[in-house]
Amino acid sequence: MIEIKDLHKSYKMGSNSLHVLKGINFRAEEGELVAIMGSSGSGKSTLLNILGMLDGADSGEYTLDGVPIKDLSETKAAQYRNKFLGFVFQSFNLINYKSALENVALPLYYQGVPRKERQEKALKYLERVGLKEWATHLPSELSGGQKQRVAIARAMAAEPKVLLADEPTGALDSTTSYEVMDLIQKINDDGNTILVVTHEEDIAHMCKRIVYLKDGVIVEDKKVKQVRADHYV
Amino acid sequence: MFDRDIWQEIFNTIKKNKLRTFLTGFSVGWAIFILVMLLASVNGMQNGFVSQFNDDATNSIFIRPGTTAKAYAGFEAGRRIQFKNEDLEYIRKSFPEDIEYISARYYANVSARYKSETGSYPVQGVHPDHQIIEKTIVTKGRYINEADYINKTKVAVIGRKVAEDLFDTEDPLGKFVEFNNLPFKVIGVFIDEGDDNAERRIYAPVSTYQRIYGNTNDINIIALTYNPTYDLTKALEFSGRLEDLMKRRHKVSPEDQSGLFVWNYAEAFDDISSFSAVLKAIGIGVGFLILIAGIVGIGNIMVFTIKERTKEIGVRKALGARPRQIINLVLLESIFITALSGFIGLVFAWIILALIGPNIETPAFSNPSVSASTVITATIVLIIAGVMAGLIPAIKAASVKPIVALSDK
Repeated sequence: MIEIKDLHKSYKMGSNSLHVLKGINFRAEEGELVAIMGSSGSGKSTLLNILGMLDGADSGEYTLDGVPIKDLSETKAAQYRNKFLGFVFQSFNLINYKSALENVALPLYYQGVPRKERQEKALKYLERVGLKEWATHLPSELSGGQKQRVAIARAMAAEPKVLLADEPTGALDSTTSYEVMDLIQKINDDGNTILVVTHEEDIAHMCKRIVYLKDGVIVEDKKVKQVRADHYV
Repeated sequence: MFDRDIWQEIFNTIKKNKLRTFLTGFSVGWAIFILVMLLASVNGMQNGFVSQFNDDATNSIFIRPGTTAKAYAGFEAGRRIQFKNEDLEYIRKSFPEDIEYISARYYANVSARYKSETGSYPVQGVHPDHQIIEKTIVTKGRYINEADYINKTKVAVIGRKVAEDLFDTEDPLGKFVEFNNLPFKVIGVFIDEGDDNAERRIYAPVSTYQRIYGNTNDINIIALTYNPTYDLTKALEFSGRLEDLMKRRHKVSPEDQSGLFVWNYAEAFDDISSFSAVLKAIGIGVGFLILIAGIVGIGNIMVFTIKERTKEIGVRKALGARPRQIINLVLLESIFITALSGFIGLVFAWIILALIGPNIETPAFSNPSVSASTVITATIVLIIAGVMAGLIPAIKAASVKPIVALSDK
């Protein structure tokens, strides 16, 4: 599903050049649930940006579902993001003047799905995250966990190939975090490929595989026995 | 364009920044208000000028004899030119295609008397065609006709003021008035839109007056109207030919400016239209400069809005919004605010003009109003203004990197 070969990325900081990613090789098959761990400055955010087509690599290959991702125009990148990727952010990033339903329907809007169909689909995904009754509520009327669940529904609505979650539990208390992880696990159980960036060990162990990043290289890549989040809920 | 989501977003931003939107919108509305008022004022001025002239047919030409200023063809300078009936016939025959109506004018002054009422009035001896050239409106009876002219009958068409002076409330039609002790039958009463003075005038057949004044065939002025289908160039070309012909006939040097005068309304009209065109240009110019201030205001509010929504735009882009869609959103919002506030200004100006416009009736200014074309132009200008105001903010918005959605600041 995801294949990265010898990925390099450096940022220019004035006269110095900061080499952030120093040759990453990584593969993720369909249906995997991978945690990417690392301290700040390890390059995990940069890797996620490149995986999310929000940033381009300097050298190396990136193939997503058999499609080479290279030298994308803004418009093309937007289309690929819409088609291939679903994003879940630490701070939810829901649009505050749109109801939960409309937030979920937004990626479908950019796909050009007609309004009625969009709303039906969005409602279906809201139901999946257990928030059907909250469809007409604004984000300000939802709790943190509910917001993140709406965000996950939004990420899933476009039926992406890969779900990218950037610290999805970073802004939540532990109980709510487990609820969210439970949801992510369930989505993964349905066969969706998910990448979770986190720095919390317990969250990482709820995935099936952990990739440790340090100073721009992968230092460890291991399969783990998944801890089911529903034990804690 | 008619996407509910886009409108929802536009209304939301406006709702969130009510005061800011109102203040900036006000500047555009005000600019359009001023622009429309300026154009209406120019229009009113033009109406005023035109009404100054419209007591005569606008396609009329007057030929007046003068005194030569140059020696020419064996004649010394200082010779007085005198038109005769033959001149009129000659012109009529020379330009059968160009001339619509033609009439002589023979000027005289009479002291008129009816019963015990007396008064002194100017009389113009004219041909029947004169009614159309001078746009004389006969309210009672009739104008001089061909039979009056041929038979040299002593009939008169008197102005409304004359009728009031001499007849008071009596019906003047069919009554006999003495002009310098000669009885004239009143056959009509006329009014003149131009001014009250014209209504102190009396018209009589030119032939009658020429006979009374010693069987002369002198005439003072030749008035005519040319083919109404002529445009300005053709009209000027025709009056040029007319002048050449009359100068040749009366042996006046072609360079002589005072031997005879051909006065063409089209020329005066041309002066007025170029004058009001300049005024209009100034009006539009000033209006536009004010509008630019408004546009800058809208641009300013949009830049702020974009700055506030940077994160949201980043999220949208991460979700798959294409740069174009972001640009469209911002432009549409800008056009909407501009057009809406502009229209309010337009409607406001229009209401004021509709209320006070028809009541303004002074010689140099009458009925200021806006035409449909002004409204359409203003609309187009507003949409363009909206695009201009939104363009820079929109490009700024489209260049927002979706990474900002990930950075939690």
